Amino acid sequence: MDPLLLTAGEPVGPAVVLPVFEGPLDLLLHLVREEKVSIWDIPIAKICDQYHEILRRMEQLDLEIAGEYLVYAAWLLLIKSRMLLPRHGGDEGDPRQELVVRLAEYERVKVAAAELAGLAELRRGVEAVRFALPAAPAEVELDLEDVDVVALAGALREVLERHVREHPAALHLDPIRFSVREKIVELFELVSRQRSFPLLSHLLTRPDRLESVTLLVAALELVRLKTAKAHQRRPFAEIYLTLTGEPLRVEGLTDA
Amino acid sequence: MPEIPELAATVEAVLAVAGEPVTLEALLAVVGEGVERARLEEAVEFVRRRHDQEGSGILIEHVAGGWRMATRPQHEGALREYLGYRSRARLSQAALETLAIVAYRQPITLPEVNYLRGVNSAAVVRTLLERKLVVVAGRKQVVGTPLLYRTSKEFLIHFGLPDLSALPSPEEVEEVAGEGPSEP
Repeated sequence: MDPLLLTAGEPVGPAVVLPVFEGPLDLLLHLVREEKVSIWDIPIAKICDQYHEILRRMEQLDLEIAGEYLVYAAWLLLIKSRMLLPRHGGDEGDPRQELVVRLAEYERVKVAAAELAGLAELRRGVEAVRFALPAAPAEVELDLEDVDVVALAGALREVLERHVREHPAALHLDPIRFSVREKIVELFELVSRQRSFPLLSHLLTRPDRLESVTLLVAALELVRLKTAKAHQRRPFAEIYLTLTGEPLRVEGLTDA
Repeated sequence: MPEIPELAATVEAVLAVAGEPVTLEALLAVVGEGVERARLEEAVEFVRRRHDQEGSGILIEHVAGGWRMATRPQHEGALREYLGYRSRARLSQAALETLAIVAYRQPITLPEVNYLRGVNSAAVVRTLLERKLVVVAGRKQVVGTPLLYRTSKEFLIHFGLPDLSALPSPEEVEEVAGEGPSEP
């Protein structure tokens, strides 16, 4: 429930519509005023009955709100019981003191709230006047001497960065110049000419990076097809390819 | 040195495009060198009176520490009709009480508001924050460092107050409240 919405008229019980109270303090103040009793002589039992009545009607409502009433009811009973006990000396103070102070404070709050409501009521229909301006303010004329070089450099950098952000480099595709299938055949022939073929030196001496890469993939393919074996004695040393004797079958291979 | 009516016309033009309260300092800055504060105040008063006397639909009001051009309340019906409002939501009793507490005791924490009202006011304070009638004013240096709230500029505008000292004084409130905590 939006606390800012007026809740007057909200059905609290089936038949009876109670005035809406802003909690136990508000109800207490209302009852005191209605009974026309001094706030020093609050009929506590009667008030607790009223609280109980409210709670009974609110059973299906907010536990938090119910809790607020219960706290007050308990407090009132505490005050009542203290009043009934004989007092020892005068240093204890009146058990009703805090309640009286709080009620008086709350009454002032209610009066101030009413004053504010009155002020706001006088101002219904008072709306700010603002002549419409063009959407964007006119370009401010700048004196070149006032321009800070650092700020200018910053602005330029920002423009460039934005340009790059908004114009990402196009994806560049090179035509396929070497095919794995070709390289497999080529490598197979090279390896068959000697007992063991130094793959690494062959790759490193290719003039074209892409060719080296394709050759490496081709070598891996040969191994996968069990047509060749690869040996390396230790890490980073030369890799030797030797044929296994399996025939090369390139039918199932793609060109990629 | 510009004459008062001329200065007044300048003030009027600035207020017309401002749409919010303009302080005397801001006005001083735009009217140019050599205009004394007192003369400018006279000029503002001149525009204000002119709008009042001519039966204008617009008024110049002194709110939130500045001067603002606004519509007159008697045209509320026409404005509502034209703008297609239903009716601006009035503040609820809970909201008014909470605002009153914050206005007179600011800066104040939520537990203090709750204590004074006897009910939990968290939801009300949240709504007042959303409506920008109260703002957060730091934290209280006590256990739990609860947030402190105070009223905003929007609050002053909403209630038509030049500043917080224009709130009804506590003595005035006391008078209406009647019976205080006098000894039995």
